[in-house]
Amino acid sequence: MDVSGILEEHKSRLRPVQVDRLIPVDHDLGSLAGFDINMLNDAALQTDTDAREAYLQSLSREGTQLLVNELFSLPTVVDDDSVYAALPKRTTVLPREKPVPKEKEMTRWEKFAKIKGIQKRKRGAMVFDEAQGEWRPRFGFKGVNNDGQQPWLLEVPQNADQYQDQYQVRREEKKERIAKNMRRQQRNTEESAAKDVGLSPYKMRKRDLQSALVLSKGSTASMGRFDAEIKGEPRVKGLRKKRSPLVGAAGAEKSKSMDILNRVAKGDTSSTVLNVRKAQRAINNSKRAAGSSGGRDGGNKRKGSGKR
Amino acid sequence: MLVKPKAKNARSKRFLVNREPKVVENAKTAIIVRGSSTSQVILDTLKDLYALRKPNAVNFTKKNEIHPFDDETGVEFFSRKNDCSLFAVGMHSKKRPHNLILGRTFNHQLLDMVELGVEKCVTMKATGAQSCAIGARPLMVFHGETFAQNETMIMLKNILLDFFRGEEADRVSLKGLEYAITVTAGPPGANGEPGLVFLRTYTVELKKSGVRQPRVELAPMGPALDLRIRRVRFPNDDMWKQAIRVPREIKETKVKNISRDGLGDKYGRVHVGKQDISKLQTRKVKALRQRLDNKPSKRQKTE
Repeated sequence: MDVSGILEEHKSRLRPVQVDRLIPVDHDLGSLAGFDINMLNDAALQTDTDAREAYLQSLSREGTQLLVNELFSLPTVVDDDSVYAALPKRTTVLPREKPVPKEKEMTRWEKFAKIKGIQKRKRGAMVFDEAQGEWRPRFGFKGVNNDGQQPWLLEVPQNADQYQDQYQVRREEKKERIAKNMRRQQRNTEESAAKDVGLSPYKMRKRDLQSALVLSKGSTASMGRFDAEIKGEPRVKGLRKKRSPLVGAAGAEKSKSMDILNRVAKGDTSSTVLNVRKAQRAINNSKRAAGSSGGRDGGNKRKGSGKR
Repeated sequence: MLVKPKAKNARSKRFLVNREPKVVENAKTAIIVRGSSTSQVILDTLKDLYALRKPNAVNFTKKNEIHPFDDETGVEFFSRKNDCSLFAVGMHSKKRPHNLILGRTFNHQLLDMVELGVEKCVTMKATGAQSCAIGARPLMVFHGETFAQNETMIMLKNILLDFFRGEEADRVSLKGLEYAITVTAGPPGANGEPGLVFLRTYTVELKKSGVRQPRVELAPMGPALDLRIRRVRFPNDDMWKQAIRVPREIKETKVKNISRDGLGDKYGRVHVGKQDISKLQTRKVKALRQRLDNKPSKRQKTE
């Protein structure tokens, strides 16, 4: 049997993969790109016809063929029934989206620990609570450190007030510790931020305070004219109250008033009209203040201010 | 003092952390923006650009009063809001018909951009070809020597590569080579004006060839754009330097004294320490021999 005919026919159906280029084509396989700097057929590109499209397509085919040839000769990995080519690193330089992350500034404690050679110890998050016979978190929600009446017996210190609630003392001490830690956290963030800017933390705080002061002056109705003077306060010029024009903005004024009227008429109690919770809190606070001060200087307070 | 937004719960914290600078960055997101007036050509172009970039793109469907070359605050604002670093703005005016601006931001500040006039656009829809799978990476080929010589064209190449390259990966499925984008630099005009740039998109068909490498056949997919370069904004040197920095964590360390040749053989150069010459064995002569009892020899005695 002669199969040469069939083989010939089969061979003729297969088309070549070779592409001839005078200058070898550069490839950046990491970004699946090829850069061909060979001469182009300018005449074909200048015509505005199908000939140009045909030329572009054949050119593209050849360029793509070269790129595919390179990709198929890379080492392959078979995974999930698909064949992958392991790509090399990208060689084209492309810009990042955001700057390279900075190393985090060391906190005061970390600096100290480094000098002293104190190692960080890993402490488990859960603690066995023997009273209840179960594992509970060291702190946080259902944590062992925030039981109201734990331990059940507390010693009253020798020279402490007998009637003082020691549980209350404990609670307050904890609150203080938390507040102290927060202050230190704040100090650490401030110091690292100041280092970024290149100022000393003291200078930076001063600058921020002054800008806050200027802002606060502008936010009172009298533009800070009756505020208590602070030592070393920055002089601000040209602080003017923003008023809506007396004439010429009738439409805006009308809509503003109508807006308020509408909301009142509707009985809208959203935060823009009346924040009920806030009002409630304010009333409660004032009541509490009146109760605690015991009326000793409560009455006198208003006398000093009087009418200005 | 610190204007950084503070997360109030774990979910928003995760969201904010995802936006922070990273060693290995997220895939770049592109915004596709319409200017205050647009033409059909520009709308078609933007639509197809969005289709090509799809999982990592945000399409703005409303008009925006935005002119990146006159005032960059607009794109910078959008970049910050959408956490994206690529933008394509399309607009149309009498002075600059069918205007397409492609650009990039770094750290939400404008890095570079190029303005292109779209002289012809054949859309995906018009070619009737089946569009590529979402998120597929294209093969990109640049033709023409100007892409290696002309500064503007080098930048255009860089921007286009950045715009279309898709998500970076260390491997690629050989079956997934679905489409190719080719960019060809046309010849300059008679009066020295810059030539057209032909951006063509083709679907790739890999056929049996009898060897390991398959035969590539292309079919037009769209968009097919004829572009003419107009205004260009080059990156600021300092910013560019910042932008191309490679973090220490992923910088490749140089491997010393190991080389490979073309046959895949590995060569190592080994440093052998300094040789101790004092213990070197030379000719054994009786006169040089040391006596075991360390007593001086007869001849030494007599001297």
